[in-house]
Amino acid sequence: MSELLISDNETVEQEQVSGENNVASGTKKLKVSKKSAKEKKRKGPGLRDVSILENPHRNKWRLIRWSFLLSVNFLFFASFYFDVQILEGSLSGSRLLGFHLADPFAALQMMLASQVFNINLIIGTTTVIIIYLLLGGRFFCSWVCPYHILAEWGETLHKYLLHKRIIQRNHVFNDRFKYFFFALFLLLSAFSGYTIFEVINPVAILSRSIVYGAGLIILWVVALLLFEIFYSRRAWCRYFCPVGVSYNLIGRIAPFKIHWNVKKCSNCKKCQRACMVPWVLKETVNMGAADYVVSGDCTRCGLCLDACEDGALSYNIRYLDKLI
Amino acid sequence: MKKAITRRFFFKKTSTAVIAGGAVVYGVAGVPLLKSKELLLRPPGALDEDTFLASCIKCGQCLQVCPPQVIDLAGISQGLGIGTPFIVPQQGACILCKGLPCVLACPTGALDHQISEGKEAAMGLAVLSKPETCLARKGENDILYELSRTTFETRLQTLAETLTKLVPRLTFDEKKTISAELELGNLELSGIPRIVAEMTPELFAWLKKYVAETEQTKTACRICLQTCPISSEQPIVFQAEKEADPESSKLNSVEKMRPVVQRTCVGCGVCEEKCPTAPPSITIVSRKKWQPQALKVKVQA
Repeated sequence: MSELLISDNETVEQEQVSGENNVASGTKKLKVSKKSAKEKKRKGPGLRDVSILENPHRNKWRLIRWSFLLSVNFLFFASFYFDVQILEGSLSGSRLLGFHLADPFAALQMMLASQVFNINLIIGTTTVIIIYLLLGGRFFCSWVCPYHILAEWGETLHKYLLHKRIIQRNHVFNDRFKYFFFALFLLLSAFSGYTIFEVINPVAILSRSIVYGAGLIILWVVALLLFEIFYSRRAWCRYFCPVGVSYNLIGRIAPFKIHWNVKKCSNCKKCQRACMVPWVLKETVNMGAADYVVSGDCTRCGLCLDACEDGALSYNIRYLDKLI
Repeated sequence: MKKAITRRFFFKKTSTAVIAGGAVVYGVAGVPLLKSKELLLRPPGALDEDTFLASCIKCGQCLQVCPPQVIDLAGISQGLGIGTPFIVPQQGACILCKGLPCVLACPTGALDHQISEGKEAAMGLAVLSKPETCLARKGENDILYELSRTTFETRLQTLAETLTKLVPRLTFDEKKTISAELELGNLELSGIPRIVAEMTPELFAWLKKYVAETEQTKTACRICLQTCPISSEQPIVFQAEKEADPESSKLNSVEKMRPVVQRTCVGCGVCEEKCPTAPPSITIVSRKKWQPQALKVKVQA
C-alpha cells in the first residue's frame, strides 16, 4: 500500500496517512491493497484518484457547493451592476434584504484599531456569528469565499503538475501557524490603529474586485494563487488565513457537522485524499476520536462525501439524536 | 533523545520566522509609510482621517447606495487606504442627498451616524484657489465666457454643456426667437444634442451674438452659489472687490465681486465641479476647517 502510494507521487501528509493505515487497520488493509492493485493493473501506474473518477456521485456536493458559492457572489455583483437589492455590499460588510452583516474578523480588527463601537456593526457581526454557529464555522470558506473556488481550481492544477512531475513536491507548513497569524494581526491592528490585515486580505480584495471592479492590488491575490499552485497546496487557506481562523473558532461548537459511520467505513482513506484540510479527517477516521468531524478546520465542503464509496460519511446535526 | 537539526528543519524554521517577521515589519513600519500623502475628500460624515482609516472596513456600501455615483474606492496609488471611499469633485461632486444614504449604509460608523442632513457634513472647505481666473471677480458672465472659448470646430465638446446651462435661464420669448432662427423646433433641454449635431457656422455665429444681447448674460458669474446644494445656508457670499483688476474690463457695467466662503460651507465640491473656468478657480481642501480671515481684520483696524 505504502509502496503504491509513494510511486503515485503522493504528498507528505498522505504518506503519513498511509503509514498510519498500515498500523491501524489490520484485516482491512489486505482488502484495500488488493483493490488498489486491481486499479493499478487496469489504469496503469501514475494515475491518481482513479476510484474517485469511477464514483457515480463524485461531483454531487461539489456542484451544489459551486453553484451556491457562485450565486452568492453573483448576488453581490448584481446588487451593484443591476441594482438587485438582495445582497448588497461586499464580503467585509453587506446587507441581506436590509439586515446588516459584517465579517467578524474585520469587525474585531476595526473595533481594536479605532475603539468605535457602532450598533449596526455589532448587530451585523452577531448575525454572522449566529449564522455560522448553526452552519458550522468554516462553512463560509467553501460555500461563500470567492478565493476558495479559485484556490480549489489551483489545487486541481497543482495536483496535475505533481502528476506530470513538473513540480517535485508539495511543501507543508505547520497548520497551527494561522492561529499565530490571527493573534498577530489583531495585536498589530490594536497597536498601529489601523486595520492592517484588510489591506492584504485576499477574500475582501477579491470580493471588492467582483463587485466594484479590480485594481492593481488584485496582483497580490494572483501571487498567492501562484504560490499555492507551484509551491504549497492550498497554503493560504490551510496555514495562513486569519479570516478562516475566526470562522474556525466559531465552528467548533457548531452542530452542523460531517458524521462518520464507523460500521460502514472500509478505511480506504479516499476521503482524506479528497479533503482540503486532511488532518481534519485524520483525527476522526484514523484515531476514532469521535463520530463527527470535530476539528474547527472542517469547511463542510462535501468533497469527502463525494469521495466516499461506502456511504460512511454524511452531513448531520450533532446533538440532534440526544435531543430526540 | 536529542533531535538533530536537519537542513529541512532549519529551512522550515527560518521560513516561518521570515513570514512572521515580514508581517510584523509590515504592520509596524508600513503604516506611516503607506498612508496617503494627500488627504482625500471623504464622503459626508467621515470621522477624522486616522479614526476613519481605522474604522472603515472597506465594504463599499456607501458607493453602492450613492445616487449620483460619485464615490470611488481608493486603489493602491492612494496609499494605505486601499478600498476606502473617496470623491474627486471635478469628476463628480457629492450633492448632499436628502437623508444622506451613504451615511445610513455605513455599517461601522466610519461615516458618522450623528449627522442626518447635508448641512452638517464637514468634508472640507471651498477655497478660491485661483482668484485671478474667477469670473465673478472679473465681472464676466459664465455663458459668454464659455461661448467665447467655443469655436465652431470644437463645439461638440463644450456647446452642449453651455446650452444646458443657458436654456433654463432664458425667457419664453428668447427661447422662441432662438428656436425660430435655428429652425429646430422648440428649444428644450432634450433637444440640445440635435441642435449641436445640426449646427452650422453661420447659425453658431448668430447664436453667440444673440446670447450676448439677452438679459441673462448681463450678470456676472454666480455659478458656485447657484449650484450649491445648501445655497439657502449662504455658504458663499459675494463681496465687492476693493481694488479693481486692471485686466478685467469686459463688462464694465457689471459689478466685480469676490466669492467669500463662509462658515456654513461643508466642502461637498459641487462648486468645484461646476466652476466654468478650467482649471476650476474654486477648489475643495479636504478636512479644512473654516477660520475667520484674520488678515482682513488687521487691515481694517
